[in-house]
Amino acid sequence: MKIGLEIHVQLPTRSKMFCSCPSTGAEGPNEHICPGCMGMPGTRPSLNKAAVEIGIKLARLLNCTVPDVIWFNRKIYFYPDLCRHYQITQYETPIGRNGVYHLGKKPIGITEAHLEEDPGSMTKSGDGALIDYNRSGMPLVEIVTDPDISSPAEAREFLTSLLKDIRHVIDLPDDGERSIRCDCNISVGKERCEVKNVSGLKNVERALTYEAVRQTKVLQSGGKIVRETRHYDEERKVTTAARKKEFAGDYAYVLEPNLGVINVKGIAGDIVTKESPQGMVSRFQKEFGIEEKMAKQIINTSMKLAELFEHIARKADTENAVKWVAGPISSNWKILESQMPGRTDGLTDIIIQYKNKMINDVECSMRLKAFITGGTLSDMEKNGADLDALIRKAVSDNPSVIDDYRKNEKAANRVIGAVMKQTGGAYSSSDIVEATKRILDEML
Amino acid sequence: MTRHRIINERYRMFSETAARPDDGPEFSVSDDIAAMGFQAAAGSRVLEGYRPVFDATAVSRLKAVGRSLVGKTNMDEFGFGMFTTTGPEVPRNPFDIRRSCGGSSGGAACAAAVLDDHVALGTSAGGSITSPAAFCGIFGLTPTHGRVSRYGQIDSVSSMGSIGVLASKSSMLRECLPVISGKDRMDPVSTVQPVLKLGKKLRSAAVPKGITDGVGKDVRKAFDDSLDVLRGMSVDVEYVDMPSLRYALPAHYILSVTETATNLVTYCGMRVGKQDGDLSLPFNDYFVSFRSRYFGREAKLRSIMGALMTSGENRNAFYLRSLGIRQLLLEDHKDVLRTHDVIVTPSMPSVAPNFSDIEGMSSVDRYVTGRFAVPPVFCGLPCLSVPCGYSGGMPAGMQLTSDHWDEGVLISAAEEWEKMFPMKRPEVSV
Repeated sequence: MKIGLEIHVQLPTRSKMFCSCPSTGAEGPNEHICPGCMGMPGTRPSLNKAAVEIGIKLARLLNCTVPDVIWFNRKIYFYPDLCRHYQITQYETPIGRNGVYHLGKKPIGITEAHLEEDPGSMTKSGDGALIDYNRSGMPLVEIVTDPDISSPAEAREFLTSLLKDIRHVIDLPDDGERSIRCDCNISVGKERCEVKNVSGLKNVERALTYEAVRQTKVLQSGGKIVRETRHYDEERKVTTAARKKEFAGDYAYVLEPNLGVINVKGIAGDIVTKESPQGMVSRFQKEFGIEEKMAKQIINTSMKLAELFEHIARKADTENAVKWVAGPISSNWKILESQMPGRTDGLTDIIIQYKNKMINDVECSMRLKAFITGGTLSDMEKNGADLDALIRKAVSDNPSVIDDYRKNEKAANRVIGAVMKQTGGAYSSSDIVEATKRILDEML
Repeated sequence: MTRHRIINERYRMFSETAARPDDGPEFSVSDDIAAMGFQAAAGSRVLEGYRPVFDATAVSRLKAVGRSLVGKTNMDEFGFGMFTTTGPEVPRNPFDIRRSCGGSSGGAACAAAVLDDHVALGTSAGGSITSPAAFCGIFGLTPTHGRVSRYGQIDSVSSMGSIGVLASKSSMLRECLPVISGKDRMDPVSTVQPVLKLGKKLRSAAVPKGITDGVGKDVRKAFDDSLDVLRGMSVDVEYVDMPSLRYALPAHYILSVTETATNLVTYCGMRVGKQDGDLSLPFNDYFVSFRSRYFGREAKLRSIMGALMTSGENRNAFYLRSLGIRQLLLEDHKDVLRTHDVIVTPSMPSVAPNFSDIEGMSSVDRYVTGRFAVPPVFCGLPCLSVPCGYSGGMPAGMQLTSDHWDEGVLISAAEEWEKMFPMKRPEVSV
């Protein structure tokens, strides 16, 4: 099975791609329109530089080659929501080409990423249709993958990971204002079908699964797959034939003469691209020698936590960074997150004291907690002493636990459960877990 | 009735006129240039009823210096023609109303020739200013592509040509070109221009060898005499080889029909212009029926040819090859212009033809009348047509082409020429 995706990402620019209409915040249909994005005769497109900059960032994320100069093309097709009946897009000089995206260990080839404008949107209404041009001229990047994806589940996994990276790298807010849509190409045999305009990760997987089964059945019964565009019906969860697929020549891509040639090299030099979460996961493994699972856990919690980890790993060492970031810092992250990165140095100092053997394990843990929650050290000590007493009591109420714990660490859960029940949320679960293990280890 | 309307009854230069608010200086624009309060139909029935909600930049800039817009001038449908015979109204030549004004900016040239102190803005994407300026015996300046913002111009061909100035006096070129020139963020192509410099005197001119082969005797004589006038102005006149000129027309038509085909897809009976098709049809059928009904013959021909030139393998064989030819032609022009201020040719191979003769011409016959007027515009170069002789009372024109952004030498040349050459104005009997 071969699957290739075309992913349309609306870019977080303030204004549209070729005019100065705002890109978000319309309260009703056809509010953010002007003669330009309505395609009124006599108007001309004027390129929004921010769209090109974001395009470069995405191309870099996808490890694409970015050309020195780009231009735009007109893709001609007749549809009522396309105001000029040609879409301004890129054909010869996509902003990125020949890239690769690493999904774990599996490379997914990126054919290209190109800039283009969104058409308006059409809704059926009674006998006719209503057209909303708010979307007309919104900037998009279309990412085209090679047919390297081998199952619908993998497609979903790929999209999940890619979207996380995209959101971070281009600061794409997850506020529902900007859509991400997908065209899914799939072939079970030789010829492929394209399921157009699927939105949502779940729907992509469903549409692909349906299509894989459909194509297999057609082939098994001796039929032939026809190259065509299909539509995914979200309610019935089936794909239906929409139209015969055009080939590139049918669109008559000609140069867009109104925009000229744009020197990307000049723009690209000034752009700093943020590291993607996926890129960070592989770098953490390489640079700090930590497990993929640990790297993912830290990075998926928050990019700020990942930055803190990196800081501590550099100032102290990796071992202590893992120990304290995965331990007390993670368990108190909710309190800490809004105060970051302002408290980075304070946390690091405490850990360095531990590393230099100026404080012990328990002291370090308590100091970190005190620093994070703003409590005093004596509160922490008292609380810690109280908790220790409760745990010791639970163990003595249940003496067989020590022998069981020797055989299987999971036995500790009995004590942990009992203490949690008794304290009813007065202590964080990670504190209880940590203290219980420490006490049981002492008693062995 | 205003004087403009009475004159218009006879010459039919205007598609629409407005009363003048005062006695101040006036101007007109061709029907493809947007101006608030006027229809902008680009000579096409498809756009009938389109009244833009904005002024073209050239219009707002001329208004800002105190000129009043008095009318929209007739043109060929979307500029497709050399005689202004494909639009809704056919303007008549001020020197002989049985003859054409040239085109596609025929109405503009007619207005500039007939009305006193009138500045007419026209457009050209290949001879559309040179042709009518020559046939109507006036100055016609086509600036460098990108010199004048084309925001507000309804263009069928976008990668070449410009809005330009047609006028009976060289002083109007000097006055108006700087006003309408300059960067405009609404047209990115205009934003890369260097500043317009006036005052450079014409010193040398190149004439392509054999340029008058096949040109009518009367025009050839007028042209040869004009070269002597130039020499009298102490301009060095030298003959040069420009072999690539012969490829200009076919390559130009291939590129222009290609761009035309994409520019005209916008017009389908939705959003602007005429919208009276049968709405019960599926949208594709609606578009087809509307376009079949309201596009003229030449518009359909060019749309079909343009689609053909870019579809499938034709894209490489015709479209991309023509882009290559344009480059070659441009290099040839640049080579000559490195050592000469201008290249001089006749403007048109004949004086204005009778309407009855035009009827008998095929599309190709009409295209080849642009063989001198097309190449400079095709290369984005500025050019100027000046009246250079009269045959049987009809004016003939001479075209001067200068280097990119060097409109200054053309304007100086027009002013010098006006002193040396006895220009005639048509007799206006109304």
